Amino acid sequence: MIVVPCPNCGPRNSGDLRNCGELVPRPDPSTASLVEWREYLYMRKNPADWVTETWYCRGGCRRYFTIERNTATNEIRGQEAS
Amino acid sequence: MSNRLTAQPGEIIDRSTSLSFTWNGKAVTGHQGDTIASAIAASGVDVFGRSMKYHRKRGILTADHWDPNLFVQVGDEPNVRAGSRRLEAGMVVSTQNVWPSLEFDLGAANQLVGRFLSSGFYYKTFMRPKFLWPLYQKVLKKFAPGGRIHWETSTHDAYDKRYVHPDVLVAGGGPAGMGAALAAADNGASVLLVEQYGDLGGHLLWGDDAQRAQGADLAAACRAHANIEVLVDSTVTGRYDHNWISVMQRSHDIAPERLIKARAGVMVVAPGLVERPYVFAGNDTPGVILSGAARRLINLWAVKPGNRAVVMSANADGDAAVADLERVGVEVVAVLDARKGESIVSVEGKSRVSKVALSDGRTLNADLVVTATGWTAPTSLLNMAGDRPVYDATAARYFSNSLPSNILATGGITGDGSTAELEAHGRATGVLAANRALRRRHDRVAQTARSNDPAWDKPAEMADSRTPLNRVPHPECYRSTTHGMVDFSEDVSSKDLIQASKEGFDSIELMKRYTTVTMGPSQGKLETVNAAAVLAEANQVSMAEIGTTVWRPPFAPITLGALAGRIHEPVRRSALQDWHDAHGAAPLLAGQWVRPDHYGDPMGEADNVRNNVGLIDVTPLGKLDLRGPDVSKLLELVYVNKWSKLDIGRVRYGTMVAEDGVVSDDGVTGRLGEYHWLMTCTSSGAGAVWEMLEDWLQTYRPEWQVHVTAVTGGLTSINVAGPHSRTLLERIVEDVDLSADAFPYFSVRQGTVAGVSDCIIWRIGFTGELSYEVHVPSGHALHVWEELLAQGEDLGCRPFGVEAQRILRLEKGHYIVGQDTDGLSKAPTAGLGGLVKLDKPDTIGLPELKAAYERTDLPILVGVQTDDPEIVPEEAAQIVDGGSNTILGRITSSRMSPTLGRSVCLAQVDPSLAAAGSSITVLLADGRRVTATVQEHHAHVDPEGARQRV
Amino acid sequence: MGKRPPKYSAGALIKHGLTRGDWPRMWRRPEMRSSYDVVIIGGGLHGLATAYYLAENHGITNVAVVDKGYIGGGGSGRNTAIVRSNYLTPEGVAFYDRSLDLYNTMATDLNLNIMFSKRGHLTLAHTDSALRTMHWRAEVNKLQGIDSSVIDAQEVKKQAPSLDVSQNTRYPILGALHHPPGGIVRHDAVVWGYARGADVHDVHILQETEVLDIMVEGGSGPGGKGAGGKVTGVKTSRGDISAPIVVNCTAGWASLISNMAGVPLPITTHPLQAAVTEPCKVFLPTVVVSGSLHVYVSQTDRGELVFGASVDPVGTYRVNGTLEFTEELAGHVLELMPGISKMRLLRQWSGLCDMTPDYSPVMGNTPVEGYLVDVGWGTYGFKAGPVAGETLAETIATGRNADLISAFGIERFTEGDLVGEKGAAAVGH
Repeated sequence: MIVVPCPNCGPRNSGDLRNCGELVPRPDPSTASLVEWREYLYMRKNPADWVTETWYCRGGCRRYFTIERNTATNEIRGQEAS
Repeated sequence: MSNRLTAQPGEIIDRSTSLSFTWNGKAVTGHQGDTIASAIAASGVDVFGRSMKYHRKRGILTADHWDPNLFVQVGDEPNVRAGSRRLEAGMVVSTQNVWPSLEFDLGAANQLVGRFLSSGFYYKTFMRPKFLWPLYQKVLKKFAPGGRIHWETSTHDAYDKRYVHPDVLVAGGGPAGMGAALAAADNGASVLLVEQYGDLGGHLLWGDDAQRAQGADLAAACRAHANIEVLVDSTVTGRYDHNWISVMQRSHDIAPERLIKARAGVMVVAPGLVERPYVFAGNDTPGVILSGAARRLINLWAVKPGNRAVVMSANADGDAAVADLERVGVEVVAVLDARKGESIVSVEGKSRVSKVALSDGRTLNADLVVTATGWTAPTSLLNMAGDRPVYDATAARYFSNSLPSNILATGGITGDGSTAELEAHGRATGVLAANRALRRRHDRVAQTARSNDPAWDKPAEMADSRTPLNRVPHPECYRSTTHGMVDFSEDVSSKDLIQASKEGFDSIELMKRYTTVTMGPSQGKLETVNAAAVLAEANQVSMAEIGTTVWRPPFAPITLGALAGRIHEPVRRSALQDWHDAHGAAPLLAGQWVRPDHYGDPMGEADNVRNNVGLIDVTPLGKLDLRGPDVSKLLELVYVNKWSKLDIGRVRYGTMVAEDGVVSDDGVTGRLGEYHWLMTCTSSGAGAVWEMLEDWLQTYRPEWQVHVTAVTGGLTSINVAGPHSRTLLERIVEDVDLSADAFPYFSVRQGTVAGVSDCIIWRIGFTGELSYEVHVPSGHALHVWEELLAQGEDLGCRPFGVEAQRILRLEKGHYIVGQDTDGLSKAPTAGLGGLVKLDKPDTIGLPELKAAYERTDLPILVGVQTDDPEIVPEEAAQIVDGGSNTILGRITSSRMSPTLGRSVCLAQVDPSLAAAGSSITVLLADGRRVTATVQEHHAHVDPEGARQRV
Repeated sequence: MGKRPPKYSAGALIKHGLTRGDWPRMWRRPEMRSSYDVVIIGGGLHGLATAYYLAENHGITNVAVVDKGYIGGGGSGRNTAIVRSNYLTPEGVAFYDRSLDLYNTMATDLNLNIMFSKRGHLTLAHTDSALRTMHWRAEVNKLQGIDSSVIDAQEVKKQAPSLDVSQNTRYPILGALHHPPGGIVRHDAVVWGYARGADVHDVHILQETEVLDIMVEGGSGPGGKGAGGKVTGVKTSRGDISAPIVVNCTAGWASLISNMAGVPLPITTHPLQAAVTEPCKVFLPTVVVSGSLHVYVSQTDRGELVFGASVDPVGTYRVNGTLEFTEELAGHVLELMPGISKMRLLRQWSGLCDMTPDYSPVMGNTPVEGYLVDVGWGTYGFKAGPVAGETLAETIATGRNADLISAFGIERFTEGDLVGEKGAAAVGH
């Protein structure tokens, strides 16, 4: 149960929130090729390193926000050591 | 024969009490303060159980929580650790791992063939003949160790959990842990001090007079300190990321075990040391004990451990054990000083030690062997924080390597010292812990938006300037010149380990998996270091090169009951569910909701809707109130169809797909006002749709002004369906013109129903009949429901359940997302052809929608009727290619239609079979193959929709 | 080829017992060569099985299996050892059925008892929709000759008497998909069996050898990597190896290794946790899975209950586990068997799973010539290990993807032809 800093609610148990995964920019659907679109749908960097990801404050203020988390250590940028 | 000594100065038993219990059916008494094991040992018992594989007789080894030989059944509780569990009156205690009895155990026959049962022997045999293997497995199961579940009495009863947020959590209540707790508390931190055993004090409790006095003073100070909460008989069982710490509390008033979850600023780890056994032939014979066991038995419980002792000592604790033994009249016939290279070679004896062979060639008669050959640092909690301890050959044990800033270690796991030195190191650690924890607390308060700024300044960061404890040199005593047990609970010997290494299992993790060393109930607390030493010997490398296995949580086993706590599995009920229950509705669990499946006669209920009028509670239908000027843009984005020109009072059906083009949800949305809309979605999808809308509005279209409110439970939804539905509603709706012209199909109005204002009335329907859906503020729902029934009595108004609705919707050919579609179904499969608009600039999944409509190979959802009208194929029956087993589709929904008097189905079929009139073969569950015909429409009843448009 | 180690048998055991002789090594620690015909990254079940079948079926023996740690140290030794073939899609069923065949004969094929306990497998249904999915699976299974059927709650009780099948629980058991050929296997033994079998053919098992980079030339991406390129070898912590074929069998680390070749993957890494209790006398004769309650459980012959659940919701490379996993697990297990609340959880652990969007693997050739993948095994890699090795070896030997894996190619993610196992595999153990 890691601690995730919600911009509204402050540090919260991760169980109060939902992890929405790695942030992947959405291509313009009117111009994107199918190949580009499917890269957006399926391909992930999945690094063992810092990743920008989205969380949803499901049990609190219902805000979507992004944080940087290190998937090798679970350290969260701006928070003290894990 | 009683082994109870006269009163000992440090004893923790209360001799004025007498606790009666039974041991293998025999009455025994002990005292308050006894453990189960000390009471049994005091009664003269040597043999407590049998070992797992060879069923060798076993007695006390460590006399604490980690004793591998003291697992007993207590009533309906299996695997109780008699070495640490406090005795209670009336306990029914029995041996576990014996058959038929402790004295005569058939499993002991394994000892005779032990030389053939080397580690991993089972991998090497029973391959041929194949039929023997299952037989052998049956035998193996008979010998499974462990206690027994009493299914008659054992249930999941009272358990509880607690959350705590201490600045500093101290794991271990010995001198260092208590020192840390006191110093942290003095420096302003809130402290939770957790001690595994029944009293604070740690090893001081069985020490000399001075040590006990020092321990008592510290304990009193801790208990008196306002900033310290003391938990005894409680174990820190795990440390997880971000210092989420689990504590198992026993001896709690309301629960046999309580799980405490702590978010600690800093954890101070002070578990002390675990004494390790010495490896020699016969080291598991009853009567061979560790020095700590001897001292605890004598000093805590006044139990005489034997009469003639041989002691092997490598350290001061062993020397102290000699003194304790002599003080209570045990004849110490030899003391072997391991520091001078003296050691034990082997012991003999079956139920008890009788002879001891020494390294100087002597063989002595003795009934007790005490070893003090060093320590294992129980670094579990440090491992869980990422530390990988490193071996120090000089001190002959492992030490922590690197720790995150929110973990500090003190006491025996960091070094050696007098009581005063241990306490001082603890205090220095406590000061540092308080500093770090208060800095964290300050950050946490400051990080929270809209919180008040902390009224105190963030303390300056303190450097770690603690003077480390000494590492006192200690001989490396692991194995004698003979082979003996390394893992007592798994019956793994040093010979087994050496053999495993020679077979290629030459790293500690491979060896562990092959021999199961360290895999038993003590999880390596006693065995890990000896195993590493034997492996180093086998590989002819240093201990440091071997490394250790990773200790995994929990530090000590936890009951499943405590982990589960109270079972919280909420059920959602509509405001009408009590009425349904009271009127004979069969409950149907649908996701989180409980719903009325039927009221006894689903076919009759469906029939009544077709002919009269029925009511169904459809509250679980997802409902989202949308307000703002940009709602139509949002709808245009999330639905596959057009939404820009929907007039106030009008309703439209829409389908949603995900970004991959797969159908995800559907429902109707009505426009209630200029800036006010109400969206409905599936019951199971309600939460996901809400979150999806919020995601789009917050992440991708923050400039849009739309406010979303979930109103699923706030509005109770009642569908009024059937030819008399308008007549019924006209009787109780006051301010809405219900006539066909004024309120046409797919319209929505707001009005007063049965005197309840602010109701929303939709003219829609899932049943194919003229129908209205009334959304009532839930507080008034029962009134409206009962009023509808009362006013409709002469019209034949009756409630109907989910099953009748399923029949009616299938007759009408309405598909259900997730039943008639699946995880790969794209828009063309669902037959949305005319609905989908691909010329929008953006809609969710647009490129995939376009691609899907280019394809000709996607399955198609069609209406199907079996050629024999009586046959109702099972939902999931496969559609096959004639007599072959090639799958060409499946029946997704099927029912007997009361309206048509024949079976009706929806099916997903290969496009080659999708044309109306195609004949298909359906494979029934009973193996029959029957023919069926693809229909022109999904709807089997009234495909033109005449009945609902009246 | 054909050189055999001393056979394991009861007779050999007795001989060794009497003579107290040493057993030979199951596999050696060979000197690394500077080039191999095939380098397999990952010394787990999949990598070792691939090496074994390359040698045994195709005579390709100049092969190295490299692992940064010890063999079987990843998912191969961390799974809950369940095997079964009652999948949902025809391609899934065919694939896993072949794997079960290989498990059935493995003890004799590899001359090592993998302790396959064919005890039957129950997937419980607690809702109408779950029951409908069970029927769907049963129908597809039956068409492909798999022993699989839906049974009612009373029959469930006969198969597993310790389950609470009363209908007044929060999640009543309505029935189950019963799959008699399913069971559990001693997972480590499978790894060792393949390692021993490969070692006989002089395949080099290189433990404690970490791959630092994959060498590719001629590709369209940075550094000549990526699509259109050709593999030339790998850089390891013990030096460079040249090889025309490099295979990625690294499960949870698949993305990191594949990025070295410039081939992105549709994978996210999530921990899958498991736990074991202290032993109790054996009472659970079969494997029980509940999708709704996110739990699966079996009891070993030693009496320990082995539990698993679905993957952790938060992707991470951390394997230190979570407390909430054990809390949720215990709550769900006690819904099924309230009587075991006094059993104690002894140990929890976790492994890394390479999750794909459609709960199906990614196998075979890639846009980089000579670079093959055997990844995306998610939570079902153990069941598939033997057939994955067999088909991958065939793919390497013939140069074209084996028929059984044709649905699992990486191109499906650009062509949009995903496999429909998601529904059956979410907690499909």
